[in-house]
Amino acid sequence: MEVVKIMTKEKFQSFWNKFGTLCILIVLFIAFSIGSPKFFPQPANLIQCLLQSTVYILLAFGEFFAILLGGIDLSVGAVACFSGIIVADLSLQGVPPFICLIIGLLGAVLFGFINGVLINALDLHPFVVTLGTNTIFRGICLVMTGGNPLFNLPKWVKGLSTYIVGIPKPVIYAAVIGVILVAFTTKTVAGRNLYALGGNKQSAWYSGINIKKYTVLAHILSGLFAGIGGIVMLARVGAAEPTAGDGYETYAIAACIIGGASLFGGKGRIWGVVLGGITIGTINNGLNIMNVSAFWQKIVMGSLIIASVALEKLISNKVKK
Amino acid sequence: MEYLKMNNITMKFPGVVALDNVSFDLKLGEVHVLLGENGAGKSTLVKILSGINTPTSGEITINGKAVSNLTPKESADNKIAIIYQELSVVDNLSIAENMFLGKLPTKKKMGITVVDREFMYAESEKYLKEIGLKKNPSTLVQDISISEKQQVEIAKALCSNAKVIIMDEPTSSLSIDETKNLFKIIGHLKKNNIGIIYISHKLPEIKEIGDRVTILKDGKYVKTLNISDLEVKDLVPLMIGREIKDKFVGTKREIVPDEQPTFVVKNLTRKDGTCKNINFEVYKGEILGFAGLIGAGRSECMEGIFGAKTISSGEVYYNGKKLEIHNPYDAMKQGIAMVTENRRETGFFPNFPIWKEIAVSTSLKKSTLGGFTGMVQTKSEKNIAEKFTKKLNTKCTGINQMTYNLSGGNQQKVIISKWLAVNSNIFIFDEPTKGIDVGAKSEIYAIMRSMAEEGKTIIMVSSEMPELLSTCDRIIVFRDGEISGILNSDEATEEKIMLAAVHLN
Repeated sequence: MEVVKIMTKEKFQSFWNKFGTLCILIVLFIAFSIGSPKFFPQPANLIQCLLQSTVYILLAFGEFFAILLGGIDLSVGAVACFSGIIVADLSLQGVPPFICLIIGLLGAVLFGFINGVLINALDLHPFVVTLGTNTIFRGICLVMTGGNPLFNLPKWVKGLSTYIVGIPKPVIYAAVIGVILVAFTTKTVAGRNLYALGGNKQSAWYSGINIKKYTVLAHILSGLFAGIGGIVMLARVGAAEPTAGDGYETYAIAACIIGGASLFGGKGRIWGVVLGGITIGTINNGLNIMNVSAFWQKIVMGSLIIASVALEKLISNKVKK
Repeated sequence: MEYLKMNNITMKFPGVVALDNVSFDLKLGEVHVLLGENGAGKSTLVKILSGINTPTSGEITINGKAVSNLTPKESADNKIAIIYQELSVVDNLSIAENMFLGKLPTKKKMGITVVDREFMYAESEKYLKEIGLKKNPSTLVQDISISEKQQVEIAKALCSNAKVIIMDEPTSSLSIDETKNLFKIIGHLKKNNIGIIYISHKLPEIKEIGDRVTILKDGKYVKTLNISDLEVKDLVPLMIGREIKDKFVGTKREIVPDEQPTFVVKNLTRKDGTCKNINFEVYKGEILGFAGLIGAGRSECMEGIFGAKTISSGEVYYNGKKLEIHNPYDAMKQGIAMVTENRRETGFFPNFPIWKEIAVSTSLKKSTLGGFTGMVQTKSEKNIAEKFTKKLNTKCTGINQMTYNLSGGNQQKVIISKWLAVNSNIFIFDEPTKGIDVGAKSEIYAIMRSMAEEGKTIIMVSSEMPELLSTCDRIIVFRDGEISGILNSDEATEEKIMLAAVHLN
């Protein structure tokens, strides 16, 4: 409290804006360290924790662009599953790895494109459109696999998620993509236009920004990162399940919101999304370590998501008053 | 005996006196017309009667009883019903449900309170018959026409035993036959001893159905007259004609003989019919004004030129070259700028500081592939923002301040800066001083004139005649989506503009 008193309200607000998610993460870290001092804070587990976070982070990257425009994408879980199935299927047919990955990602991008085009053409809220396409995409996954998992995949698939100098490759992928996206959102004209569009669609239109094309772009990006997330999931599991990623859209959305993105659009940072994803991964990991049953984990996870966002709102409201 | 009396009503809003010592009364069984140009105070008067606004001072007497602070409920209790221009029926409810909205009749059925539909339908049927609307009360309102919706509102007013019905421009979206039908209904209401306050800009219809008329001007009471004693034309000078004509800002730009216009619009028609067959030309360095009543189609025409809304036909030429404009991006690329009417909805970004606001369109213009490539040039963008913020004297704590937190006038300056930064040549200003205080207004006029002197071509849409007269070189008048007159500022007067803007026959 001493810190709060010293800082002015505005300063505290801007501090919380920048570091709020980090504070929540630190609180969780301390809580789990107290709960399981022998296992949780160990370096090996922390790396594991990061690895668990990568899929959430990657899906949240995509979700972030949909949310940035004031929309949402409920289909990221199904899109992730789809790209995994394509890569698995092609790899079983002996297609070279690079081509498998490209086609898998193109499939995910295509799904994102379909979302964007439908939102524009039907002039419907992204919630409704992606609620529908989520089920359709999931159905396509089930039809393609006949409902059975694809396994006995070539070795290179698992090789996508091995370690380099003690760091899991997926963590490196996420880090590299994160850096690229930070640059994209803060340094490019297209990135800034997405924020403008999220802030006020009509002002953006009257400033010369093409609303429809940018909506498609946001959903293509959403599809692309869901696809990358799906391939990482595939590599970690070593098999393509037609139900993989089911419900992951909630984690992706939660990661964005915890990371400071606003559902009204125009607000949020990639850096925050990364921390949001790590928060979800940490909750997951910490509860596992503390031997909380998988059933209870869901209840705790949901409550923590609400609590962390409520805390954020509580603090920013307090500051405003 | 007057049923309703308003004495010396004054209504002050921060920075504006909307009504200054206005008196008004209404007898039962008469149609009393409220007349005045945009912003004369008619709506404020209606809002006071509906209980939305509480007057700063003045007395209201209804049926001999003084009511000082009308609330919406008291307004209804005093049998006042209002039919707004934007009808307020609920589309997905039936006619009968709309008429009984908020007071559905109930009955007990097996001990449970349920809606008494039989009673509701029978009762609504009665009122619908009275005003001659042949519709089943169970019809959903979304399935009936606008004029029928309006009749439902009238029936609703009757159903609540209204003694006073206020109609705000009721004929603005009605056809000739529908208008005739409305007048028939109004005649019937008069016979039933209901008093009607009728707001309209259409002078001939005032003559047709009005008994008395009260004219307001700039929030002040002008006169109350018996309509039978006067000619429609006599009303126009009363609505306008300020004693002091505002001084012209800067020097007027004269058009040289044989001069070629720099910007030409030909045969512009919008798909939704809000403007039809518009032709005009503007000269370099000129300020061309667009006058007309609200809803005459001026903004709609500008949105069409700017590509923000689709047009069904029309061509735009800049320096003799035809421009292809399908969206605001095309317009912006080719040097057209638009400062929109509603800053909050279509002007700025609530999440951007001033410098980003100013940079948005510039970075788009430099970008290729329809605005998708390119990097943000923070340093030069901030320099440009500094330059224009200084040039236009924008009051802010710095270019990092959020545009959102500025006053209306300074927000407007930021938006103008944005378009100056793009180096636009044609500037369309739609109500540039709306919601801006007096001091900032004159600054905006001065900015516009100096822009014109620097060679920009300026179009100014405004509903305030004094500012058009003091700022524009020429004035085009709109009426019902068409151009009804072009005036040179030397010869233009409020009276001439108003004569072109309203219907005389």
